[in-house]
Amino acid sequence: MTTQTITDIAARMDNGVKTYGEGDAAVHALNGATAEFGRGRFTAIMGPSGSGKSTMLHCLAGLDTLTSGAAYIGDVDLATLKDKDLTLLRRERVGFIFQSFNLIPTLDAQENIVLPLTIAGEKPDTDWYSQIIEILGLSDRLDHLPAELSGGQQQRVAAARALVSRPAIIFADEPSGNLDSKSGAELLAFMRRAVKEFEQTIVMVTHDPNTAAYADRVIFLEDGVFVDEMHDPTPDAILDRLKRLGA
Amino acid sequence: MIRTAFKSVFAHKVRLLLTGVAIVLGVSLVAGTFIFTDTINAQFDSLLGDIYEGTDVSVRSAGGDFSAATEPFPASVYDDVVAVDGVMAADGGVSSISAQVLDSDGNPIGGQGPPTLGFSWGDTPTLNPMQIKDGNGRPPAGPGEVTIDINSARNADLELGDMVTVVAFNGPEDFLLVGLTSFGDADSLLGATLISFELEEARNVFGYGDELTGIVVQAEAGVDAADLTAAISQVLPEGVEAVTGETEQNEQAAEISEGLSFLSIGLLAFAGVSIFVGGFIIQNTFRIIIAQRTRELALLRALGATGRQVRSMVIIEALIVGVVGSVVGIAFGFLLALGIRALMNAVGLGLTQSGMVLLPRTVVIGMAVGVILTVASSLLPARKASRIPPIAALREDASRTPRRSLRTRAIVGAAVTGTGVALLVIGLFLSVSNPLLYVALGAAIGFIGVSILAPLAARPLADIIGWPMPKLFGVSGQLAKENTKRQPRRTASTASALMVGVALVVFFSVFASSTKASVSETVFELFPADITFQSTNQTDPEVPAVISPGFAEDLATHEELEVVSAMQFGKALVGEDEKLIGAIDPATIDQVFALGASDGAVAALIEPDTVIVSTSYLDDNGHDVGDTLTIEYLTTGAVTTTIVGVFEANDFSDFYISTNTYVANFRYEGDAVIFANAAEGVSVDEAQEAVAPTVASYGNVKSQSKSDIVTEAETQIDQALLLFTGLLLFAVIIAILGITNTLTLSVYERTQEIGLLRAVGMTRRQVRRMVRWEAVIVATFGALLGVGIGIVLGWAVVRALSDEGLGAFSIPVSQVILALILAAVAGVFAAIWPARKAARMNILDAISFE
Repeated sequence: MTTQTITDIAARMDNGVKTYGEGDAAVHALNGATAEFGRGRFTAIMGPSGSGKSTMLHCLAGLDTLTSGAAYIGDVDLATLKDKDLTLLRRERVGFIFQSFNLIPTLDAQENIVLPLTIAGEKPDTDWYSQIIEILGLSDRLDHLPAELSGGQQQRVAAARALVSRPAIIFADEPSGNLDSKSGAELLAFMRRAVKEFEQTIVMVTHDPNTAAYADRVIFLEDGVFVDEMHDPTPDAILDRLKRLGA
Repeated sequence: MIRTAFKSVFAHKVRLLLTGVAIVLGVSLVAGTFIFTDTINAQFDSLLGDIYEGTDVSVRSAGGDFSAATEPFPASVYDDVVAVDGVMAADGGVSSISAQVLDSDGNPIGGQGPPTLGFSWGDTPTLNPMQIKDGNGRPPAGPGEVTIDINSARNADLELGDMVTVVAFNGPEDFLLVGLTSFGDADSLLGATLISFELEEARNVFGYGDELTGIVVQAEAGVDAADLTAAISQVLPEGVEAVTGETEQNEQAAEISEGLSFLSIGLLAFAGVSIFVGGFIIQNTFRIIIAQRTRELALLRALGATGRQVRSMVIIEALIVGVVGSVVGIAFGFLLALGIRALMNAVGLGLTQSGMVLLPRTVVIGMAVGVILTVASSLLPARKASRIPPIAALREDASRTPRRSLRTRAIVGAAVTGTGVALLVIGLFLSVSNPLLYVALGAAIGFIGVSILAPLAARPLADIIGWPMPKLFGVSGQLAKENTKRQPRRTASTASALMVGVALVVFFSVFASSTKASVSETVFELFPADITFQSTNQTDPEVPAVISPGFAEDLATHEELEVVSAMQFGKALVGEDEKLIGAIDPATIDQVFALGASDGAVAALIEPDTVIVSTSYLDDNGHDVGDTLTIEYLTTGAVTTTIVGVFEANDFSDFYISTNTYVANFRYEGDAVIFANAAEGVSVDEAQEAVAPTVASYGNVKSQSKSDIVTEAETQIDQALLLFTGLLLFAVIIAILGITNTLTLSVYERTQEIGLLRAVGMTRRQVRRMVRWEAVIVATFGALLGVGIGIVLGWAVVRALSDEGLGAFSIPVSQVILALILAAVAGVFAAIWPARKAARMNILDAISFE
């Protein structure tokens, strides 16, 4: 692997194994999974239930640790970091969009968006912040508490939060899973735009082919290993591929 | 439902643990009080049993209630008693409570602790509770000999053959120590110093003539004690009575129980505060747990459980927690009683290490208190649980039950608070039969009222207290502040528990501070004398102990002193009532004591059998100056006494006679107080220094300047304050556990949120900080409410007592600030466990938490 390729890779997993439980009851959520996620790319991870797609995302994001193998963000081996450094890495270089419960209920939208910066004791880049707010159409919702926002608005606030610190990579776990189709489409379109216009890197787990089709590339997992990938996917092609996986 | 309840208790055992601790602490105070006082009572009972074992009849002065049992009668009574048929043996003796033994440094043995009791040695072993075992010497046989109990001898480093100084009627005298006495198997009578002399010597030392103060009689075999008592009564002169040994034993036992019941009532009052605070915590915990279990309870409803069944389940859970907490509480009460006993022994009360007494009553009351408290506190939360609709199982947001409107809360809270205040005002300012009950009830209801109103203040106050936190601690501080504002009701009821403890601590501080401010005013107004002399041997709280008669004369020989004026006190019957009568020297009293007497009143006292009375007594009893009062003295009987003047009421007595009238009617044992002024050109310090050797030679006299008296009073007030604060510590600890409890439950509830914060980059330390500052805000909130209530309560009580010498109102600012700071620090400690829990949370589990 050359230096050039390393800088093109935002995150990768190398022969990742994640085992829950012991002995006969042991479950291998990841069973030697290897995958790379290119910088400035929008990658979707797909696979049937129990294929290990969420586990891969969690281990790549530094939320969970591998039993063996390695996970990297940039060229940092996450296994070498203690909790504090891992926390700082997440704060500085990683953004998150979860399926639900993305926002702190006591903070208003604006405070939620800048939360990672506030935690770090930093001030947001005003131009960048305004641009995100503008694109996401949140300008008139900034002083609302999460409970006063619609589901779509809440997820857009979460997306803004993920972007505000210009992280090296954003991990999204079923970001549109709880949204109606119109709100979901808006959110995904925005994520795609963030990749195209701002060279943001996004890795997203989903089980929905329509959602995955917003990505540049889809990788498929089955029984905890990488089985296939697809570039510039369409919903039909993904569905077709999934059917063969299931069989 | 019962099984479901049991399972639920076990499933939530950690959450219920802290609730249990609140019950355990409250119940342990109650049980500990009972166990301790019962144990002491039993110990006294067995001791009295030993003392009266051989005594069938006791002959004594018929002084009744208003004399110490040392009033003498003629020695000839002994011969008449011995001559009665059925008397096998009889011992006549004298006793005194005015003697003191000095150790080698010249300090009284026992100090301010247990008293010194002096006896004549009884020659009949079956009638004498004291023994001298082999190797411990022999009984006192003649002049110049004394015995002392083993325990006191050991404490004062005295050995057989030593010379011992005893201060009594004749001032300090030296005696040869010839015997060490035991008391049954014990070396000591509960720490009292016991000395004995041969009878004639005892009369000499204690200042008796050919007299006795008591005769103990043993009946011949087969003679009934009551019959013998009746027979002996026939031969006794007027003023002397015979009672059975059993009667006297029961009288003494009753007296001891009465003394102990004051102690137990005092301790139980503080136990009550702890229980009251515990009630807040328990109710709060159940309310939070039910809120968290809404979906589970709704599921039960959806599966067909009735609202009543859900309610029963919650109450049964409370019952289980209450029973377990009470049992553990009683066990802890046992340990607590051991602790109190150790503490009492440390200050010199020789309580033996016998078994502790656990009466069924203690268990019943302890269990009842714990169970009723828990179940009663769960009733409101249980009712709320029964109203959860089945649909809440399916909808996330249905768990939010509509809040009671703020207006309703304000009205109810104001009404309850108003009721409490009204009861307080009645108790404090109107003359009712049991004012303390009104005050206690008023305070309790007032606290509940304020706790109902507190949620209204929670948000604004949290904003004020938490104002600097975002600036100082960044996002952790901001979130801490926001979190306290989230559920104002939860914050307020957690804080309310602390409010109660802090309010009482502040109240006592204000009261103490005001008393101190008033004391110096009173002392400087009332005692113009430069120096005051009193005995250090204050054994009877009602009648001041005396200084040996020779002391005042010795003082008068010092030319550094100008006026030496002695005061005596004694009890006598005035009309139907037993009263303390003071005696003064009419020639000198005006120079040393501000009696505030009417013109010529003091001078008129020079006539025999005259008295001046306080204006309040005069008004209350419809007397006038010039009327006569019948005063019945123990020694001389009823004496018609003329009222020759009035004086402004003071704390000591409503009646003053002259020392001459006193000596004519009381048995004069010595002076209670001696006042003296420094001579012209001599400073108070110089005068005190000049008389110091005389004072030291008596051993049991203390000499105090005005500021010494103030300092001593202040020290005593501070000690009392410390004691009360210490007893309130239980309530404060329970309240702090309550903060821990609420926070632990809140952290659990906010699992997802904390997981999210950790995911987006909050460090563990920041999480801990967030929880810690939330605790600090809650604690400070409670303390602020407490300080407010405490000051208001203190002001009201001081105002109510302004007629009784509490002229000044003073807020101890530094103590109040200290209380606030300590409360905040307590918040930090309360947060340790929940903060750790929050920081240790596994992020993934937290994110996927349902």
